[in-house]
Amino acid sequence: MDFRLSEEQEMIRNMTRKFVDEVVASRAEEGEATGEYPYDIIKQMADLGMMGIPFPQEYGGSGGDWLGMHICIEEMSRGDTTLGGLLDVTTSVVAQELYVFGTEEQRQKWLIPMARGKTIGAFGLTEPGAGSDAGATKTTAVRDGGSWVINGTKQFITNIGLDNASLVIITARTKAQKPGEKEQINTFIVPKGTPGFSLGKKYDKMAWRHSATHECIFEDCRIPVSNFLGKEGRGFAQHLAVLETGRISVAAIAVGLMQACLEASLKYAKERVQFGQPIINFQAISFKLADMAMATELARNMYLKAAWLKDNRLPHTLEAAYAKLYASEMCEKAASDAYQIHGGYGFMNEYAVSRYYRHAKILQIVEGTSEVQRLVISRNLK
Amino acid sequence: MEIIVCIKPVLDPDMPPAKFSVDSKTNRVIPPEGMPLVINPYDALAVEAALKIKEAKGGKITAVTLAGSFATEILRKAVAMGADEAININDPAFEDSDTFSTAFILAEVVKKIGKYDLVLCGRQAADWDNGVVGSVIAEYLNIPSVIRAKGIVVTNGKLRVERVVANGFEIYEMGLPAVVTLSSEMGQARIPTGWGIINAVKKKIPVWTCSDLGLDPVRVGKTAARNSLVKLYTFSPSRSCEMITGKDDKEAAGKLAEKIMDIKP
Repeated sequence: MDFRLSEEQEMIRNMTRKFVDEVVASRAEEGEATGEYPYDIIKQMADLGMMGIPFPQEYGGSGGDWLGMHICIEEMSRGDTTLGGLLDVTTSVVAQELYVFGTEEQRQKWLIPMARGKTIGAFGLTEPGAGSDAGATKTTAVRDGGSWVINGTKQFITNIGLDNASLVIITARTKAQKPGEKEQINTFIVPKGTPGFSLGKKYDKMAWRHSATHECIFEDCRIPVSNFLGKEGRGFAQHLAVLETGRISVAAIAVGLMQACLEASLKYAKERVQFGQPIINFQAISFKLADMAMATELARNMYLKAAWLKDNRLPHTLEAAYAKLYASEMCEKAASDAYQIHGGYGFMNEYAVSRYYRHAKILQIVEGTSEVQRLVISRNLK
Repeated sequence: MEIIVCIKPVLDPDMPPAKFSVDSKTNRVIPPEGMPLVINPYDALAVEAALKIKEAKGGKITAVTLAGSFATEILRKAVAMGADEAININDPAFEDSDTFSTAFILAEVVKKIGKYDLVLCGRQAADWDNGVVGSVIAEYLNIPSVIRAKGIVVTNGKLRVERVVANGFEIYEMGLPAVVTLSSEMGQARIPTGWGIINAVKKKIPVWTCSDLGLDPVRVGKTAARNSLVKLYTFSPSRSCEMITGKDDKEAAGKLAEKIMDIKP
């Protein structure tokens, strides 16, 4: 066994850390306050090659691995989890689905600019009536000559509101083509700007306020048959396959946020004096910090293991669920403790821990709720 | 443009001061555990300057270091930033070289590379802050040099350098080849990209030894050093606090002013 990162992975960590410290961290609060999308930061992320780390160079990527990608996501999330979420969706989920299931033509057309970060991808699974029960998709696609005609609504769609979002990959029900066939769930690429595809207004959110999340509405939206993605009848399975990576990504986001909680709490506890001494001297505080440091490292090890399994083409459904569930739950605890350590100051928006606390909760929901992760784990135990 | 950039690993300037310690018996800094050395920030600016010239004029950048430990790490960093080649100058005979023998070895490296228009260095290393190597390389190569540059432009085969002075900057024009050392006024060095990092890790970095350079070991390392380190220790300033009082604020302020005027510079 070798737990050391490769030189390449170390360098990716250093690159991202430097970028976060110099550019990202100081802007996170502003993004949260104004809700304005940080296009200049997203452009710099693209220039640094972040969106394409795990893809081969001929497809616009860096030729690195998923472990390196997730180290990048962790470090970005230490500064701003919103941008970790952006990377999760565009790289781990959408670009990966194009890379794994796309035709050569689809890869050339959609993947290359996305891996280069010139365009951003969005992923449409959730519907008003289909959350954890993602199979309950109501959106339909009907074949009409050389086109598919889409009708339905997808909600909570991250990234789609960005000016350079190029497409959303959606699941939709398709009717049986021949007698005796069953209804299927299939996957389609819907480019932004297609007639009949419109966005609802930007959601008013508790956190991730500068994430471009909108409702996607499809009304007789006609796309060419060449936008069919992957194999017939495998749309749902394809979506779940890339969501497995999305779970590793959310674990990495949670670890980044826990690390930020730990650093802020440690700093504050050393500086804050009560009863004549820094509060870190009190066991009530230092034990919280010890627990936080331990949970951060354990969660980190778990997401790294899941990413390593993925890079080595080994099964990792269970490990991705462990990583996502443990990291997100421990992250909420870490954010709560960080807030507690800061006392009344934690309630003030000028302290970052207030933001950390708001950001932690969503990580237990996205890419499969904690309950869905427990379902995945318990089913695998049987 | 063929550009050679000399870089050096130093202790991370951002490391906590508590991690810094010296071994007074051997007169050496004890490398802090878990804190890898980083590329000297001024040298990173030299790489940045080289990249800007390459972007404008085309050409090739070769990064060289005479470092011992952490040589490949910082050379890969330079390649990740965009340098085309890297050479690790490494030989036990080079150990304990002083600034003059370091410059001598680097000048020999430049000669061995052969084809060059420009040699760039940081204005000084952030550990010892001598600021000598760049100028002495120029002496050994017998070519012009400008130190503490904040900007370099190459036009019509000539070099135009802005050199930082106490209250502004001076502009120099000179022919090529030349040596220039870069100052922090130049701006910021770029962060390596994902693509750059992956390429850097794949890059084969040759090692050149004392015999590869055809050097007599007597002319390098400790035997050739012109200066010697007598004592290395950490300075611990003593502090005392005196409260100035008076019957009112005015009197206290007056006493304070007298105290300040009495302080000998």
